[in-house]
Amino acid sequence: MARAGGITNAVNVGIAVQADWENREFISHISLNVRKLFDFLVQFEATTKSKLATLNEKLDTLERRLELLEVQVSTATANPALFNV
Amino acid sequence: MAVPIEEAIAALSTFSLEDDQPEVQGPGFWVSAEGGATISPIEYSDVAAYRLSLSEDTKAINQLNTLIQEGKEMGSVLYTYRSCVKALPQLPDSMKQSQADLYLETYQVLDLEMSRLREIQRWQASAASKLAADMQRFSRPERRINGPTVTHLWSMLKLLDVLIQLDHLKNAKASIPNDFSWYKRTFTQVSVQWQDTDSMREELDDLQIFLSTRWAILLNLHVEMFRVNNVEDILQVLIVFIVESLELNFALIFPERHTLLRVLPVLVVLAASSEKDSESLYKRVKINRLINIFKNDPVVPAFPDLHLSPAAILKELSTYFPKFSAQTRLLTLPAPHELPLREAQDYQRQYLIVNHIGAIRAEHDDFTVRFASAMSQLVLLKSIDGVDVEWVKEVKGNTYDMVVEGFQLLSRWTARVWEQCAWKFSRPCKDPVPMESHDMPASFSDYEKVVRYNYNAEERKALVELVSYIKSIGSMMQKVDTSVTDALWETIHAEVQDFVQNTLATMLRTTFRKKKDLSRILSDMRTLSADWMANTSKPETEMQSYPHSGEESRGTLFYPRPVAPTSAQVHCLQFLIYEVVSGGNMRKPGGIFGNSGSEIPINDLKQLETFFYKLGFFLHVLDYTATLGTLTDLGFLWFREFYLESSRVIQFPIECSLPWMLVDHVIESPIIGLLESALMSFDIYNDAAQQALVILKQRFLYDEIEAEVDNCFDIFVLKLCETIFTYYKSWAASELLDPSFLFAIDIGEKFAVQPMRFVALLKTTRVKLLGRTINLRSLIADRMNKMFRDNLEFLFDRFESQDLCAIVELEMLLDILQLTHELLSKDLTIDSFNLMLNEMQENVSLVSYSSRLASQIWTEMQNDFLPNFILCNTTQRFVRSARVPPVPVQKPSVPYAKPNFYCGTPDLNSAYQSFARLYCGFFGVPHMFSLVKLLGSRSLPWLIRALLDNISNKITTVEPMITGLQEALLKSIGLLPFDGGISGCMRLAKEHLSCWHSKSELKAEVLCGIKEIGSILYWMGLLDIVLREVDTRQFMQTAPWLGLIPGADGQILHSQEGGDSPMVTLFKSATTATMSNPNCTNPTSFHTISRQAEAADLLYKANINTGSVLEYALAFTSAALDKYCSKWSAAPKTGFIDITTSKDFYRIFSGLQIEYLEESVQLQSNTYEMLGDSVAWGGCTIIYLLGQQLHFELFDFSHQVLNVAEVESVAISPTQKNPNFLQGIEVLLEAMKKARRLNNHVFSMLKARCPLEDKQACAIKQSGAPLHRIKFENTVSAFETLPQKGA
Repeated sequence: MARAGGITNAVNVGIAVQADWENREFISHISLNVRKLFDFLVQFEATTKSKLATLNEKLDTLERRLELLEVQVSTATANPALFNV
Repeated sequence: MAVPIEEAIAALSTFSLEDDQPEVQGPGFWVSAEGGATISPIEYSDVAAYRLSLSEDTKAINQLNTLIQEGKEMGSVLYTYRSCVKALPQLPDSMKQSQADLYLETYQVLDLEMSRLREIQRWQASAASKLAADMQRFSRPERRINGPTVTHLWSMLKLLDVLIQLDHLKNAKASIPNDFSWYKRTFTQVSVQWQDTDSMREELDDLQIFLSTRWAILLNLHVEMFRVNNVEDILQVLIVFIVESLELNFALIFPERHTLLRVLPVLVVLAASSEKDSESLYKRVKINRLINIFKNDPVVPAFPDLHLSPAAILKELSTYFPKFSAQTRLLTLPAPHELPLREAQDYQRQYLIVNHIGAIRAEHDDFTVRFASAMSQLVLLKSIDGVDVEWVKEVKGNTYDMVVEGFQLLSRWTARVWEQCAWKFSRPCKDPVPMESHDMPASFSDYEKVVRYNYNAEERKALVELVSYIKSIGSMMQKVDTSVTDALWETIHAEVQDFVQNTLATMLRTTFRKKKDLSRILSDMRTLSADWMANTSKPETEMQSYPHSGEESRGTLFYPRPVAPTSAQVHCLQFLIYEVVSGGNMRKPGGIFGNSGSEIPINDLKQLETFFYKLGFFLHVLDYTATLGTLTDLGFLWFREFYLESSRVIQFPIECSLPWMLVDHVIESPIIGLLESALMSFDIYNDAAQQALVILKQRFLYDEIEAEVDNCFDIFVLKLCETIFTYYKSWAASELLDPSFLFAIDIGEKFAVQPMRFVALLKTTRVKLLGRTINLRSLIADRMNKMFRDNLEFLFDRFESQDLCAIVELEMLLDILQLTHELLSKDLTIDSFNLMLNEMQENVSLVSYSSRLASQIWTEMQNDFLPNFILCNTTQRFVRSARVPPVPVQKPSVPYAKPNFYCGTPDLNSAYQSFARLYCGFFGVPHMFSLVKLLGSRSLPWLIRALLDNISNKITTVEPMITGLQEALLKSIGLLPFDGGISGCMRLAKEHLSCWHSKSELKAEVLCGIKEIGSILYWMGLLDIVLREVDTRQFMQTAPWLGLIPGADGQILHSQEGGDSPMVTLFKSATTATMSNPNCTNPTSFHTISRQAEAADLLYKANINTGSVLEYALAFTSAALDKYCSKWSAAPKTGFIDITTSKDFYRIFSGLQIEYLEESVQLQSNTYEMLGDSVAWGGCTIIYLLGQQLHFELFDFSHQVLNVAEVESVAISPTQKNPNFLQGIEVLLEAMKKARRLNNHVFSMLKARCPLEDKQACAIKQSGAPLHRIKFENTVSAFETLPQKGA
């Protein structure tokens, strides 16, 4: 019966495996850090977006207030007679 | 080399990335860097490097995997296949001649669709033959090649699963044979002109047989497999593998488990149908184990809306496989629809999430806490240098354990959702009871029966809860993805190394020493995965820190390296373990690990088994994000292709859509905690869209999902805003109710508002939906701005449709709205209330002083209040006259609005309505308060001016009429003589006034005019009272700041003469104090504050001494009367008082007064109710202002009559007179007395409020000589002239 296994050149394979572990440590390290970098970018985008949203909200409020003031001023300047009294 | 990268990445964490966004959505997977562990991205080409002679096996695996991939795509084509026959046009009779063209066109269209089916037919044939060949090759007893590996077994099972699913779909889809028959018909029509169609026809017949035969794919596979009769062994191995995996149920995530459950019944049928000994299977696996598995899961999900039932499959297949039909024990298993009631209820209990939600909730809470603490430990670990190695190992091991537990939880929960769906699909609601009874459709579609009416409120709630648990844990785990990765790698590395370096070493030394071939396998395992150098790569010092004493017991020490084994390594390790335990012999009886006859001791077997299954799970852990994505994917809840086809509709309404049902349930249900899960339910759409695009690859499905999401999200925001608005409104309304009153009444709880938390939703600025980012907060803010405006508009509309008395209610409702605004502004930025109020009042312009409300009040006064309301002097109220107005006032009907435009809930509405009802019948001081508050100092002057103008207009209109009356008056009217008695006096008075008989209309109009003038003046009086109170209150508030002290007689004294007021002093001293401080950075702002204080001081001081509105009104009236002075108050020619010939105003009024007094007594016609007390106010004011008060009091007819009566009552005893007549006289006298009292009251008020200048008049000396132009004092203190008692 043909038994499974039987690595033909066990010593060589063992050395290769060892080298492989070390190489992969480097690869894993790089890939993890790339992912961390990417994670950071995603989070940065999200935070920036919500910060911008807050800013936008404030600008909206200001804009509306300014609009109101503009209308009020325009009604006043349309009637210059009022200021001559 | 790696250090700079690490430092750079670490530097990133110094950025502040905090935003206070609540976690209300599930995880989003942007990029998955992994996915390489479970499916080898390089197709196991690295396996060859381990020199295990597995190249044949690897080739086979890759071939099968390609087939699986193709098969899945075929499956999605078939699942999303929609009948196109329905869309084919029919020709009208007039175009019958072009029928042939139509056939050709139709043929071409259908041919495209049919070619896909043909492709499926071809593919399944080749897949079946390849699978069969593969099985045959690897199950040869002589065993010339290594394999099959465990990965290979999995691939076989997966391919089988794909084939079964395809078969099942083909059976279930009715539209396919339908389309095909249509296609065949057109083909017959079209092919008439073609030559050489035989081969095509043959192909067509083949396809027809394939499509119309149930289980055609399976039957074909069976034929292929048993061409050579030696696959029984491998079938048995597969069955044993499935049964053991399912029974252990440790390393399986739910998609794998479902795959095994789907494949098992078919494998059993195939194995039993073998020609050789079918009973050998049951020797290896007891039939009870199979039955248990089938009984545990009577329904297995296959496609989102399509399930499989093992029992039903067994039954159906038994007709095709005669050998199998002998297995009565398997065949008597009931299919889901045949379950007896009791068993069905048991299953129901097992399947329905609602029965488990309590336990799930506990698991969730427990897990969240432990996971979070594990994460914080990990963070802590990274922040400290030089920590104990054991502790590091423990923390990282704990992290690994938590991740595994999280995956298992998620897998269990998501499987529950799948299985509940399958169960629900298998048991449609028998008797649908629609929640909205008003639209009762005649029949329900099947989909409505299985989904819409099949989930009751509790079940929906449980499902929402579970969905949000899955999503929130998913997003929690996804967040820490990169920070746990190296810990996971390290732990897995440690586990593997521990096994190969320690456990295997022990085994080699002990049990396997004698067994050469087995120990060779074990040492191969070490060779291909051991990382011997890991313990030397670290500095020696650390190595020495290990306690050497424990070395013997713990084996070799190694330093864990954050690198995980590759999938090839895991693959080989699994293969080798399998080889060890099975001995490479498929015929070996018994199970894989649960084997008694093995030569390996039970202890080692156990260790091998545990490690074997752990290896399987390592792959899922390594594929961290990919596994999370699979486990939290709930997109299947949306898909309904199968039901769409069977219901013959294009798409179901969104009410039938499960995701929307969940969202809707969240909003509609009053359960508070659920609210934040609303957005989690929208994640189902995200998942569904992802599936449509990536897995099913169908654009039209994505479009449908997108359309539904667009619609749903709009409705969601709308409903959410309604809920938010209602909640804040009722909160405000219940705040404004008197708490002590609420406490005292029994039903007080009805008016309390259950607190709700909208904060999280209100904070959400980014909702991720189908790749878009939506700013929910700004959407809500926009809608709220609009809603507040709409509500204001509605309140004004409502006021406009009611009379002036409704102003108190208006103020109340506006107050509630304002408080609502205030409460909501704490959580949301919305426009200021005043801005909105001004906008809706059309009062934005700086130069307009009227407003919508002011003009409405003015119109209302002019058209309704002044003509139709009468004054009651005693109660200080105006009430509506009982007289029907000549011209009914036209008003818009009351607009309709939802309860939240009033006070929120219906209960609160009724509470407030009963308050408002108290004020709706009259106009008095409370109304005046509301009016002053609502109009404010801006529009009030405008209204006053309009009313004053009205007075002067009225005087102008009345003037010609009075002239008419003057002209008609007798030339000479003397004093009433005493000798005629009362009746004589009355007769005489009547004779005097008989000249007016023909002018009754004129009289009435004059009276009305005077009444309106009186009403306005009295109204001003009320206004004056209210303004005084408001001013006083303001004075009390400002006085201490302005340094004002009320003096003895209404004077206001300044506390510090010439100096600054306390407010200015305070700010000035604060400024100097700050300036003297050298640390002060911004002194100018303090200067500004101090200057502003001075300005405020000036402004407030100027406001202190406001004039009286009433006095102003009287002065204005006086000025208006000046024009008519000559006509109404002719200076006597003689210089003496003109008694007989005077036609001055007082005489006219006196005549009018006695006539209407008499009328009111005699006719009982309630003239009084027509005119009220304001006639006296109008008449007396004019008399007073004309300087005729004394004349009036001297010569007034009723005065004279009363004087006579006084004398007479002394002279005659009442008994002598006719009682009836006497009574009439008595009543009349009473009325006259009352009128006199009233007149006196008015005069005294006028004297107090509007002292006339000293008048020049004539006096007669005692000697009888006239004395011209003497001055007499006209000012009398009001208190001296108050109406006397009994007068």
